[in-house]
Amino acid sequence: MFKKIYAWLDERVGFDGLYKNLLDRPEPHGNWWNTLGSASLFLFIMQGATGIFLTVYYTPSPDHAYDSIQYIMNGVAFGWLIRGIHHWGASLMVLIVFIHMLRTFFSASYKYPRELTWIVGSLLFLLTLGMGFTGYLLPFNQRAYWATVVATEIGGVVPGIGDFILKALRGGTDVSALTLSRFFSAHIWMLPAALAGLIGVHLYLIMRHGESAYPDQDD
Amino acid sequence: MAGSSRISRRDFVKVVTIALSSVMGAALGIPVIGYLIDPALKVQSSEAWIPLGPLENFPLGSPKSFSFTRSSVNGWEKTVNSYGGFILRKTETDLLALSSRCTHLSCSVNWDEGNNNYACPCHAAHFGSEGEVLDGPPPAPLDRYETKIEEGNLFIFFQKG
Amino acid sequence: MNDDFKKKVNEKYEEKLQKGERFWPDSIYKDLLVSFALFILLIGLATFIGIHPEPKVDPTDASYVPRPEWYFLFLFEFLKYFPGEIEWVGAAVIPGILVLALILLPLYDKNPFRHYSKRKFAIGLMTFIVIGMIGLTINAVITTPPQVETEIAGSLTEQIVLGQDLYSIQCVECHGPDGEGGEIAGVEGLEGVIVKSISSTDEMYTRNDGSLFDIIAYGQPNLGMPPFGGAYGGELTPSEIEYMVAFMRYSWDDRAEIPADAVAASAIPTLAEGEVPSYEVHISAVSKRYCMSCHREGKENNEYLMGSYEEILKSGNNVPNLVAGDLNSILLQTIQQNEVIGVDDETIGVMPPKKELKPEFVDMFIRWVEAGMPESASEAAALSVEVAPEVEGEVAPEAGVEETPAP
Repeated sequence: MFKKIYAWLDERVGFDGLYKNLLDRPEPHGNWWNTLGSASLFLFIMQGATGIFLTVYYTPSPDHAYDSIQYIMNGVAFGWLIRGIHHWGASLMVLIVFIHMLRTFFSASYKYPRELTWIVGSLLFLLTLGMGFTGYLLPFNQRAYWATVVATEIGGVVPGIGDFILKALRGGTDVSALTLSRFFSAHIWMLPAALAGLIGVHLYLIMRHGESAYPDQDD
Repeated sequence: MAGSSRISRRDFVKVVTIALSSVMGAALGIPVIGYLIDPALKVQSSEAWIPLGPLENFPLGSPKSFSFTRSSVNGWEKTVNSYGGFILRKTETDLLALSSRCTHLSCSVNWDEGNNNYACPCHAAHFGSEGEVLDGPPPAPLDRYETKIEEGNLFIFFQKG
Repeated sequence: MNDDFKKKVNEKYEEKLQKGERFWPDSIYKDLLVSFALFILLIGLATFIGIHPEPKVDPTDASYVPRPEWYFLFLFEFLKYFPGEIEWVGAAVIPGILVLALILLPLYDKNPFRHYSKRKFAIGLMTFIVIGMIGLTINAVITTPPQVETEIAGSLTEQIVLGQDLYSIQCVECHGPDGEGGEIAGVEGLEGVIVKSISSTDEMYTRNDGSLFDIIAYGQPNLGMPPFGGAYGGELTPSEIEYMVAFMRYSWDDRAEIPADAVAASAIPTLAEGEVPSYEVHISAVSKRYCMSCHREGKENNEYLMGSYEEILKSGNNVPNLVAGDLNSILLQTIQQNEVIGVDDETIGVMPPKKELKPEFVDMFIRWVEAGMPESASEAAALSVEVAPEVEGEVAPEAGVEETPAP
């Protein structure tokens, strides 16, 4: 029975090809530093999963955001765990992605033929920071509010277009319900979509060129 | 490395992969299920005697409607619910308090003075003055509230959950 | 970059692949172990450290120290070194250039060598930048002034309990412990003013939480009620006012049922027979609820404060207020509705001035003074007389009740 289902699926999916192309790839000798990329991906998936579950109770409006998070933390079974993982996962992801980038830099893995992999990767780093920045406002507590006031104000000092940037970020002149809902939208739709797409490109490029080897004396 | 040890290493890694993935899946999956179904597991019960005012406000013989509100906490929000019903004062102290909620799909029934029955506007059901089903789909007679009279004031007993 | 060079690179890579490993199972195994370790770390952080609770947004709170998430601190700190007119250089130009330089790195880094020894400049520069970022972050952490911590209620029960404490301190002197109102006594500027009940059905049914919040925050200056909200010159934060509103709503509005654990948590502990009350558990609970609204700093109270064990014994113009074992102590007399003549031949009125303390609380004070006024619960327990629990058929020795035969 199980074998029949497997055969039926295999005929259509082609597990063999998947195995050969995805898993059974040759690689140069690596070390533990090479695990940081997959660790970043793992954290992205964790953030995605816990983030989706948080939206079950979270309400992105100034009147309810704070209370709904208090409810997640105290009222719902395991709410503290889901939010705790999301909270710490965010910090950890920024850290791991950054170290992953430093590793790539110091081993000069960004050089031919992996220039584009680096460019996409550095965009991924910036998007990760963007996720941290937009997610920071969502609890709508003192810390979130003031950090966003100050951060958007920094955008406002750019000569000429500063005022425009400030208003575009905040959705008006003040940090308000509009700011919260646009940060929410960016945090759960726009940035994750961009991240997921670029992660796909990043992974494709890695598979196309293979994992880089550590440089020798004569490289 | 010899072929055989290579295969056993593969199997070892396979087992570890499956084991660790299952541990992670379970460590996250089980709490998540609890997290998602949590509101369904909360018991929200409440009961209280609701004052409806002086007994003389309710005329003898024909049903008079009443309503009251209760608030309950849902998540982080207070929800104020209104409830209504009819008091039929049969004699000086013999009272019948009916809920106005149709037992079919919870529409509000109204007292029809002309036909001497309660009519539900949703599926044309009718209840008699004692709350019994006359016709239509409702599976049960209208709910009754327990009543008491204290110092000339009428109270009904409200129970939920 | 010519084709020969590319060919050489590719050939070299092929060679390395020959001597290398397989993605499955070699790499995946390591990846999995690292991911699993991170997973455990996350669960551990979420479980044992959790998330620091923060108060609700309060744009009027001038004492709050705004700080970004830790990974933006270096940038935040960086801006300290740019005076106003050239702030845009630090905020936009330099970070902008650095970000562009980061993204486009492979396009302008023409150094064909990959080994560390042949990339001294690049590695040196990056190391310098990273150390700079770490240094700025550390400096930002060190120079951050400590945040004023406020108590934060998570659940509704906690809100109600905190709200009751706040109400006891802030409101009782005029509105009474149960919001019953009446004539104000002993409050500067409002002596003799009649306050209507704020706990009546009329009040509760016609004012929603928002109105109650506004009344507390803004006050009703024309009626004599001062503002309590920080934005209007009071001392309460929005969260604190919300807790008070929650307390009022759930305690006084008969449509809303107070959670049972909130009732239990805010109840003043009762005394068993023979049990000696302690300051820690009993006396402080009563004095907080019924006395401290007036007997705290800044109120007209003959300098008698009741905020701590020390204060309750040794503060004020009429020391000693309480003497261990002395049932004629000033405090005991006044709460038993007897006026006392103080040190300056001034009459000390009965306390609390508006509403008599419940007899069980008066009894609690008397028993406490009799027993020598123990501070901690353990001291009180040591002084307590063990009374045999009343089992059916058995009667406590000094109860003086005729023994009843067991049924």
